Amino acid sequence: MLMDVLEQLVHGLTLGSMYAMVAAGLALMLGVARLINFAHGEFFMLGAYAFWYGYRQLELPYAVAGALAVAVMVLWGLAYQRTVIRAILPRSWHVQLIATLATSIVLTNLAIIVFGTQPKEVPTALSSRILDVGGFRMAAQRLLVLAGALVIFWALHRFVTRTRAGRAMRAMSQNREACAVVGVDVQQVALVTFGLSAALAAAAATLVSPLFNIFPDMGTGLTLKAFAAVVAGGFGYVNGAIAASFLIGITEALAGSYLSYQYKDAIAFLVMIAVLLWRPQGLFGRRLGI
Amino acid sequence: MRRAARLALVGVAVAAPWLVARVAPGQQRYVVHVLIFTVLFAALALSYDLVVGHVGALSLAHPAFFGVGAYTAALLATRAGWPFLADVLAAVVLAGAVALVAGVPLFRLTEHAFAVGTLAFALVAWIVATNWVDVTRGPLCVTGIPKPVTTLPAWYWLALGALGVVLLLYRGMTTFRLGRALHAVRDNAPLAAAAGIDPLRYRMLAFVAGGALAGGVGGIYAHYLSVFCPEEMTIALTVNLLVIVFLGGVGTLRGVLVGAVLFTALPEVLRLAPTWRLVIYGALLLVIVIRSPQGLDGLFRRAASASGR
Repeated sequence: MLMDVLEQLVHGLTLGSMYAMVAAGLALMLGVARLINFAHGEFFMLGAYAFWYGYRQLELPYAVAGALAVAVMVLWGLAYQRTVIRAILPRSWHVQLIATLATSIVLTNLAIIVFGTQPKEVPTALSSRILDVGGFRMAAQRLLVLAGALVIFWALHRFVTRTRAGRAMRAMSQNREACAVVGVDVQQVALVTFGLSAALAAAAATLVSPLFNIFPDMGTGLTLKAFAAVVAGGFGYVNGAIAASFLIGITEALAGSYLSYQYKDAIAFLVMIAVLLWRPQGLFGRRLGI
Repeated sequence: MRRAARLALVGVAVAAPWLVARVAPGQQRYVVHVLIFTVLFAALALSYDLVVGHVGALSLAHPAFFGVGAYTAALLATRAGWPFLADVLAAVVLAGAVALVAGVPLFRLTEHAFAVGTLAFALVAWIVATNWVDVTRGPLCVTGIPKPVTTLPAWYWLALGALGVVLLLYRGMTTFRLGRALHAVRDNAPLAAAAGIDPLRYRMLAFVAGGALAGGVGGIYAHYLSVFCPEEMTIALTVNLLVIVFLGGVGTLRGVLVGAVLFTALPEVLRLAPTWRLVIYGALLLVIVIRSPQGLDGLFRRAASASGR
């Protein structure tokens, strides 16, 4: 019984790491550009397919395939900012939401056409190796996911607080007009933000794909859960979003195991609506900014 | 003149099955089938435009109400043997009631949060429809839903009658004092509130009316196909409705009708697989909202005012 709960906790932490990396990107975009990217789950999906292509089709080593996926997605993020985001940034939130939703539909269905609806599996040496510590069993890949997520969050924190580009991003999240006045290139900062967010999504995809299947419409639900984390964490506040992601992951793992597996997503969405209603400013206060 | 043109249009719409029989006798069944879809989608898009176009609430929950209506009608007809009109009426009432219950908490959310909340609601409805196998039969679909009329032209007139009812309600709600109140809420909610127009009341009114009408259309749709599956109420339906409404012209009767005709005619002309269809719709939607957010109707009006000057 205790081992069972522990296993579900580890499963929840894995899910939480995935949600956190996606939600951090979403929160960055929201904080810096004041924009909800409805296609962000599809960024993760594309990253996963890029990794699958490198690892299974080109038969590259795991780390190289992961780096390839991240590089491809950074380019994708930059291209997306240059074309779609630049056009909708000055427009109303109605236009922004419909445009990014439309992007997500195009990407999902293009993925169905290119890769088919059959889920892809990417088992690695680590995902098939089961660690056994006194009766407690887990795939070694889960340790890699947790460690990778911690390293990535530490690097993200360093980037945002120590580098020039990161500081410009924080400044923009606090006051865009003042940034423009003192000569920060607003479009340039938005460009860096989208590249970084896409890289986070691809890194998450590389880490967790060996544990879960890859399929074309995995993005919509992921966008919603990441958005739930962003809201719960206090709109656009990255650390809050990361913390909330782990809460959501653990809740989902426990609900899926002890309440109902078929309805676990429904439970997650209902909890999210409840949080939106109960604390519209987020679980961790109302601080805005990254 | 305008009155005459409108009467002529209604005349053509009513006489369409005969016209098709004269023009394309070999293809009559197929063309009338497409016309029935056009009419049903026009009615559904008008119900959606009440919410999106007239009170400016970007709800993504419409498939949920469509699905509730369709399942209500389908299950009452197949399990309890209700007659057609009674089960469609029940579909309207139940979908409206669900919209009322969901709307009260959802309208506490604003902007993005409202859109995401309604999308989550639609997904929950779809998950329930897929997994509540005892009632909905899940992915096996509800089958054998009886057809109240059997010939295709009769179905066409039935659908056209339903569209007429939706059209009258749409006109009634979007003109006169009520319509001005809805538009005041859409254009400036604080100002409307200051003038004594309670934004929540009017938003709820449009949301519940739109949901109830969507439920009715869903009921008729289920009877027409005589089978209803959970896939009919996914986010793809929301995308279809967004394309119709934004392609034609959000918040305008003429625009939505033009959008519905183009939307259902286009894939028939292009003969595409469903996935390619969604790719093209998504790209189309993206281009429209960026380039011409007023849709085709906005282009017409700009052209008309330019030539009038």
